[in-house]
Amino acid sequence: MRGPVFMICLLCGTVVASLIFGQSSLSIATLWEGMTTGTGPGALMVNTIRGPRVVTAFGAGAVLGLSGALFQALFRNPLAAPDIMGFTSGAGLAIIIAVAFGINAPMPLVAAIGGLVAAGCVALITHQKGHAPAPLTLILVGLGVGFFSSALSTFLLTLLAHNEAAEAQRWLTGSLAARDWSHATQVWIIGGVLTAVSFGQMRNLAALELGPDLAAGLGLRVGAARWLLSGTAVLLAATGVAVAGPVPFVALMAGPMGIRMTGAQSLTGKMLSGAGAGALVLMLADLAARAALPGVQLPAGVMTGILGAPYLLWRLSREMKRGEL
Amino acid sequence: MSLTTVDLSLGYDDQNVIEGLNLTFSKGQMVSILGPNGCGKSTLLKAMARLQKPSAGQVVLDGVDINTRDTRALAREMAILPQAPLAPEGISVADLVKRGRTPWRGFLSPWRDEDSKACHDALAAVQMQDLAERPINELSGGQRQRAWIALVLAQNAPLLLLDEPTTFLDLVHQIEVLSLLRKRNKETGLTVISVLHDLNLAARYSDQLVLLGHKRLVAAGPPNQVLTAANLLDAFGLKARVDPDPVTNTPMVIPL
Repeated sequence: MRGPVFMICLLCGTVVASLIFGQSSLSIATLWEGMTTGTGPGALMVNTIRGPRVVTAFGAGAVLGLSGALFQALFRNPLAAPDIMGFTSGAGLAIIIAVAFGINAPMPLVAAIGGLVAAGCVALITHQKGHAPAPLTLILVGLGVGFFSSALSTFLLTLLAHNEAAEAQRWLTGSLAARDWSHATQVWIIGGVLTAVSFGQMRNLAALELGPDLAAGLGLRVGAARWLLSGTAVLLAATGVAVAGPVPFVALMAGPMGIRMTGAQSLTGKMLSGAGAGALVLMLADLAARAALPGVQLPAGVMTGILGAPYLLWRLSREMKRGEL
Repeated sequence: MSLTTVDLSLGYDDQNVIEGLNLTFSKGQMVSILGPNGCGKSTLLKAMARLQKPSAGQVVLDGVDINTRDTRALAREMAILPQAPLAPEGISVADLVKRGRTPWRGFLSPWRDEDSKACHDALAAVQMQDLAERPINELSGGQRQRAWIALVLAQNAPLLLLDEPTTFLDLVHQIEVLSLLRKRNKETGLTVISVLHDLNLAARYSDQLVLLGHKRLVAAGPPNQVLTAANLLDAFGLKARVDPDPVTNTPMVIPL
């Protein structure tokens, strides 16, 4: 039971379940009626309450998942993901700065700048003359940059009014509350363009996956190709953060999980699997966060944290056993 | 084709491992680079493949300094297989070999018949057609190394550089790898330059040997001129007797 069809079925099922379940549940009949006739409680759910939220979660999860899969292939390390390496925290910090100081700029742009600055910091700190830093060095330095960004974000919350601060705190955990269609279209359009840009670089990634020496031997300008791919992947992650907050672990888990689910062997297949799994994880996390406890709406990031942290520990112990850490 | 090194110096962090090296490699030959550990064999190979910039001097291919050339165009003229490359998880032999076509494919250009033909030829040359769909991590060490060689053969460059292609292989597989390279060399005129450890195998399978010592060239030329007792003492500090190999009549090193 694996393959692309299995993944698509799961995605469809999750979308339907996300529309049906929540603080109040709909019957499939009501949902169907709402979607076909455009009236009744089903229509309200699809058009206004849950619809945009689910579509946003789908898009944000997919771009985060793709970003993670790209980094993991590029650095040939399952721990290399934008959420581990601090890029999503950087994007989140930029948005908090914009909110705290009343800077009026489009959120995706702010998030993109934040993500790129964080990536630039990691690159600068790990820079060694003459050769590329080891992936593990990048990951550990990125972890530090991420913690620093998160701490700064939390500190800046003190500048906000009480109710604003609570809202921002929630968002910093990673949340899909109160998303409307503008968020959904934003993440799908920008995400779509960036996905196309990253797929245009698949041949470069295929060569880079063989290691820098072989890639150079195959005629790649390794430094430039790496930068271009990393930049695209950072922007993908920032696009997700702009609508869903720096939700943890989705990008980390999506790649390996997606490959397990589809059994993809081609590089393009692996990347699509990562995007699919990212969408699946974020939609399910959001569903669990709003339906698990009656009367309580948790941020989706709490759920991905509960799921993701044990995964990270398992991954670390596995890498240690394999002697990679 | 000829590849020459002109007053080539190589090193890391201001510390040269090779100084003022002048060598000429000519077309259609099989050449092995030998020397003690840390003498800069791999560094020399990397420099010849433009993977490392010389600290002084040049590497010249057909009259042009390789470091001034477009890297993609150069990849159609020389292929390099680094030491112990790592395969992406779960990749099949066929998919790996396909990546050897990278320098021949334009941005978004489709897969062409000649690409398929090159991959097919490469797989045939290493006798792995039957294993093409197998994931590479499921193969034995010898098969895996043959798959990597198929990748660089699919690159279809007339010059092939190999960094220790037989390390980590048992004797049977070492011979298998060197024989298939020799066969390809004889059949297609492929120039093969490799870094090797085993002196006797290098003597058997090479037209020319390059013997390096500490920071310098000890000898270069046909095996029977390079592998002499005096040169071995000079390069390795090894006391040895050199007799003709009873099978191939190439020099055979017997340590004393």
